Amino acid sequence: MIIAAAPLVLAAAACGAFIFRKRLHLVGPFALVAIAAAFALVVLTPLDTTGTILDLQLRSSGLGHLASGVILATLFLLVLDVWLDEPAYNFFPTALAVGATSLGVLILTAPLAIFGLLVVGLLVPVGSFTFQVQRNRSVEAATRHFGFVALGGCLGIASLALAASLPHDQPANTFVLLVVVLVVAFALLLAAIPFHTHAALLAGEVPPAALALYFGVLVPTTFIAFVEILTLSGLLPAIVQVVKVQDLLHGIGLTSAVGGAFLASGAPDQRRLVVYSVISNLGAALVGIATLSGPGIIGALASVIVTGASASGQLLAAGALERRSSPERPIARKAPLAALAFVVGGFAMIGAPPLLGFPGRFFMELIAYQFAPLTGAALVFATLLLIVGQLRAVLALFGQGVERWFIEPRPIAGIVGAVIFIALLAGGIQPDGFLRPIASFADEFLRALRPL
Amino acid sequence: MIALGIVALATLAANGSRQLRYSAVALLGVSLAANVLTAGQLTVTQLAVEGCGALVACGILYVAARDRSYGEDPGWRLWLATIVAAAATAACFATLRTASSEAIAVPLIGEDPSGVTAQVAAFWLISSGVAILVTAQTPVRGSLGAILMITGVELLVRLLTVPQLGLSLLLGWVEVVIALAGGFLIVNERVVRES
Repeated sequence: MIIAAAPLVLAAAACGAFIFRKRLHLVGPFALVAIAAAFALVVLTPLDTTGTILDLQLRSSGLGHLASGVILATLFLLVLDVWLDEPAYNFFPTALAVGATSLGVLILTAPLAIFGLLVVGLLVPVGSFTFQVQRNRSVEAATRHFGFVALGGCLGIASLALAASLPHDQPANTFVLLVVVLVVAFALLLAAIPFHTHAALLAGEVPPAALALYFGVLVPTTFIAFVEILTLSGLLPAIVQVVKVQDLLHGIGLTSAVGGAFLASGAPDQRRLVVYSVISNLGAALVGIATLSGPGIIGALASVIVTGASASGQLLAAGALERRSSPERPIARKAPLAALAFVVGGFAMIGAPPLLGFPGRFFMELIAYQFAPLTGAALVFATLLLIVGQLRAVLALFGQGVERWFIEPRPIAGIVGAVIFIALLAGGIQPDGFLRPIASFADEFLRALRPL
Repeated sequence: MIALGIVALATLAANGSRQLRYSAVALLGVSLAANVLTAGQLTVTQLAVEGCGALVACGILYVAARDRSYGEDPGWRLWLATIVAAAATAACFATLRTASSEAIAVPLIGEDPSGVTAQVAAFWLISSGVAILVTAQTPVRGSLGAILMITGVELLVRLLTVPQLGLSLLLGWVEVVIALAGGFLIVNERVVRES
């Protein structure tokens, strides 16, 4: 039961936080304590512990531990920022529920259950996406998100259920069709290009903290769930034999990596820059998975986890800059610390050394070159476009100069950005502890690919 | 076969209704008929769990409507959704049918151990849901499409030979969360429309 304790604590806390969500002075600290307790429970759970709950097998894996730790730390920083700097009462129960579902996804071992819980997690933020509904299009954005999640979720679960009931003598085309539907379902959930229209609308209309919850926590969880489902469902050996599926993953990944980078390089504001950068990095990670190789899988997962953390920091900084500069365009003069946090978050987003984003990107681009030189060149081109986008944002923020460096009042976003930067720097200097559990999962993936 | 017919007719009623409350009642009919279709494959507890999920989901949509007149006129979308669903069901059944093809005897009344009617109903519900969701203008039809799809998914999962209690509970929760998110969006969309 201890293995399920952390998600259960968060789920119970989410219910509690919902009841007194309008008492901000209570619900903020309560949410922080609940997340800290869940973190302690995750750390205390020994690796490879197994358990069963309602017929569903649970397992505490190295990757699950690592991802749970990063997710809980990110949630802690998000809740801290919202409590102290951007009060929004819907956010606290939503963040706790998202934490509960994300941790649940990481310990479940049944692909159908992982997918079902993931859909619940992706639907929960709808409550925090809508705000000041008469002044913006946040309802439309949330409705579009709802549609994409419902469509992708139901199609994905249905294809998994059908694939699980396939008799051995089923024609190969049936299998290909089901895996294609599964991949497209995940592309819908991950907002991969060309299925990114809801993400584009969300980027413009939704509060920054809710955006950070989605792109910083849920999108990385979805990606990890995708890779785990591929591993656990037994579909991998057949995917190797049917090259079409690998090509499809490759195609969606490349389109997303280059398309997202193009959109990021011309993004009109900081939020869109971050969202398109996440989409581009996810595309590159899909290419890494499509190589079906150890370095590709390690690079993809490492890159996605780091992307989530840096996107959270950048989105919070973008929100702080918008609030301080409103109604004018965000500039560094109004909130220098938040602007710095945005810039250093950008370093992590593009995978610059010595930050932790570098090893993942290096592995992905290296293996992509080995897979096909054109693919490797496309990923490098995407990285260059992301650098252009981030540089444009730096110029927009600092172009007018900063007359006097001072710490803005309530510099929470700046502090959160600094904490994330220090963590990524420490991880980048000593990446072994971060990469080892991912490498262990990559071994599992490769074993599932070619079972004895 | 009778339950399958009720699923099809109730889906058409939910799809064709201009009032959300009527759609919610029709959705309940779809869920009940779907439960009857696979009654033999699940224990009473599992059926109760999924039945409760459907009841709560439909109740949420019924309450979210707030009055009898609120809804979305499907217009031409009704016909498009029906034609697409019918064509897609036939195509899915031809290409994706995984139930045993030996000795298909579909009884008019009573259980269908081959699972053929359950699969047809599942394909019909999922394709109807996709067609409704893709053409939806407001959260009203979006929620309707999503709940039809998840009902179809529940039917497919019931045909698997795996432990079902956890999955039944989880899918019941997914249905309720879909209805909650849909209801929340319906209420907000109404506020926007009325302002």
